Amino acid sequence: MQSNDVIGQGLASGWKVTDGATLTENQTVEADVVVIGTGAGGGTTAEILARAGLSVILVEEGRLYYQKDFKMDELTSYANLYQEGMSRVTRDGAIAILQGRCVGGSTTVNWTSSFRTPDETLNYWAEQFGLEALTPTAMAPWFEGREERHNMAPWDMDPNVNNDILRQGCASLGYSWDIIPRNVKGCWNLGYCGVGCPTNAKQGALLTTVPGALNHNAHLFHGLRADRLVMDQDRIDRLEASAMGADGVTPSGITITLKARHFVAAASAIGTPGLLLRSDIPDPYGRLGKRSFIHPVNASVADMPEKVDPFYGAPQSVYSDHFNFLQGVNGPVGYKLEVPPLHPAMSSGVIPGHGQAQADNMARLPWMNSVIALLRDGFHPDSPGGTISLRDDGSPVLDYPVSDYLWDGLRRAYHTMAEVQFAAGAKRVRPVHMDAGWYTSLAEARAAIDRLPMELHRVRLFTAHQMGGCGMGARPEESVVNGFGEHHQVRNLSVHDASIFPTSIGANPQLSVYTLAARNSTRLAAKLAG
Amino acid sequence: MTQQNHAPDSEGTGTGLDRRSFLKTGLGGALFLGTVSVTAGLSGCASAPAGRITAEGTRMDASYNFRFLTRDDIQLFQALLPAIVGPGLPEQPEARRQAIAGTIERIDSGIHQFGPANQAELRRLFDLLNFGLTRVTVARVWSSWPNVTTSEADAFLERWRTSSIGLFNKGYIALTKISNVAFYGYEDFWHLSGYPGPPQYAVDALPQFHNA
Repeated sequence: MQSNDVIGQGLASGWKVTDGATLTENQTVEADVVVIGTGAGGGTTAEILARAGLSVILVEEGRLYYQKDFKMDELTSYANLYQEGMSRVTRDGAIAILQGRCVGGSTTVNWTSSFRTPDETLNYWAEQFGLEALTPTAMAPWFEGREERHNMAPWDMDPNVNNDILRQGCASLGYSWDIIPRNVKGCWNLGYCGVGCPTNAKQGALLTTVPGALNHNAHLFHGLRADRLVMDQDRIDRLEASAMGADGVTPSGITITLKARHFVAAASAIGTPGLLLRSDIPDPYGRLGKRSFIHPVNASVADMPEKVDPFYGAPQSVYSDHFNFLQGVNGPVGYKLEVPPLHPAMSSGVIPGHGQAQADNMARLPWMNSVIALLRDGFHPDSPGGTISLRDDGSPVLDYPVSDYLWDGLRRAYHTMAEVQFAAGAKRVRPVHMDAGWYTSLAEARAAIDRLPMELHRVRLFTAHQMGGCGMGARPEESVVNGFGEHHQVRNLSVHDASIFPTSIGANPQLSVYTLAARNSTRLAAKLAG
Repeated sequence: MTQQNHAPDSEGTGTGLDRRSFLKTGLGGALFLGTVSVTAGLSGCASAPAGRITAEGTRMDASYNFRFLTRDDIQLFQALLPAIVGPGLPEQPEARRQAIAGTIERIDSGIHQFGPANQAELRRLFDLLNFGLTRVTVARVWSSWPNVTTSEADAFLERWRTSSIGLFNKGYIALTKISNVAFYGYEDFWHLSGYPGPPQYAVDALPQFHNA
């Protein structure tokens, strides 16, 4: 079999890649543009700017991991590839945050779902935030371009049983469902997207745009943390960065100064507001770090009569948008239904429990299905999102209060998920909640769900989607950047990641990030070349 | 990150957290959590990572270098793990000791990747549980951890799981999550979840499993 190890081959061909852990002296490096972050936004930006002939430096806090490191093992992957070793949570600890920290960012560990920004969302942005240029019609060619770049297409193999249960349940209840487009090429249908694709099938930033940039002379520093942007009058003069040691988490003491004409922050909706807060970037209207969104997720597990083997097969291939916009774009909160893959470590961490009860839960893993509901936050006055601020050590943290508006949606979602699972033949269903048991009929589950306390820590909450915090908009009074990701106050600063979304997306966000980054980078390349 | 202070906003600073946590916990919990690390330090609780410790005295593998857990933390998990993952532990005493020791080592190496902020949170939690006064008054565990029975450890976990105080629920989740993940996620115990591991044909075919 011919090797498709793009990274290994690129390194051998002489790409400019510097591992921060190997640096022994402080130094200053210069380029036309410094791009902070190598995920969906940063990778796209770097490739487009480098192809336009600009010199580009890519800065990544995480390390470069690729096929040689991807051995389908949860523990090593969670420790190395995820933010805070998979321990990231909201400030009060009530919501677990799954987010990548490696070259490729979250696209290296996501489950490959590739949705366009829903029309309802784009139209809402046009009406509410003065973003008329982002209508579905105007954006269509940009979506098409990115779908082609990342090989996105509806999954053409049969869904695994875990996903098929969602399909069956929706079909028998008359709820709409569809097949998920995935960004894969030659996928083996193994089920290990979340721990780094072992076969180089996933067409995330790691195997597409980052190599594209490196093939055009970009210089990647990994294991290098962006500490602060330093202003000189009204422009950013330089980025100060700290090299991390070989463990990826302990600074080595070496600092690197990066100078450029233009700086693009693409460090995620938690990392970018954090960087700009640390840098005291002008924020005359106090908008920085505000309106942070996450698609709050709750879950329901089911004990099925036939084997599910939820650890094998493409992790996400079926979804339902039946409840996403059912009551209008800004009515009671809507939710998208999907399924998560269930491997032993993830399952034992997500389902709360200990002792014999937990042993019994885990023993039934091969028969377990799980459905998750992703709430569409940010479209209603009672869903203003959270706030990013800095902890004592300078690291960013998300404070995310859960409003009654969201609790109502979470309770409805528990009902829907139980209904779908029983309709697909579940023997028992358990909402993932501290006070829930296993229920053997829909009636029993419904009665229990009506009584479950909707409270922090009791409801087990998760998110893999971080958005907002540097919201875009036409009016500087209520946004951080304009509709092209250009900072309202600082002329040589752009933001090209999910932090510019003025609401959540209402779908897995990677394609939204790729697309806006491509559009805004194309404009930036023209400006910088001119 | 170096100490880079930013002008506090009204929402996200430490004092806001303390106030909210205190309201949530009612009397005591937050106050203890906030101060116990200092108290524990003053009263001589072991707060340095255990480093390499001999197998003889501690049942640990001396080749493992602890970077976060202290000797007290190790005793805490030796007491808690039988209640958290006990049904899956081997019955044969030596195998059981090794399974517990290996799980504690994986807990330590996992926490090493957590970063300073979450490590500080765990340090406060572990110090609260290890410091005698707070162990008794907050966790309501009367014996020191090496003398706690599995049923006493289970009763403690149940109190924190079912408590109406959010901070105790959070502590329960922290203790059980890091333990469950380090145990059920490890190859030797995959069989407890009926997980056969990565498909053999893929392991056979992929280069990363064969290039040394």
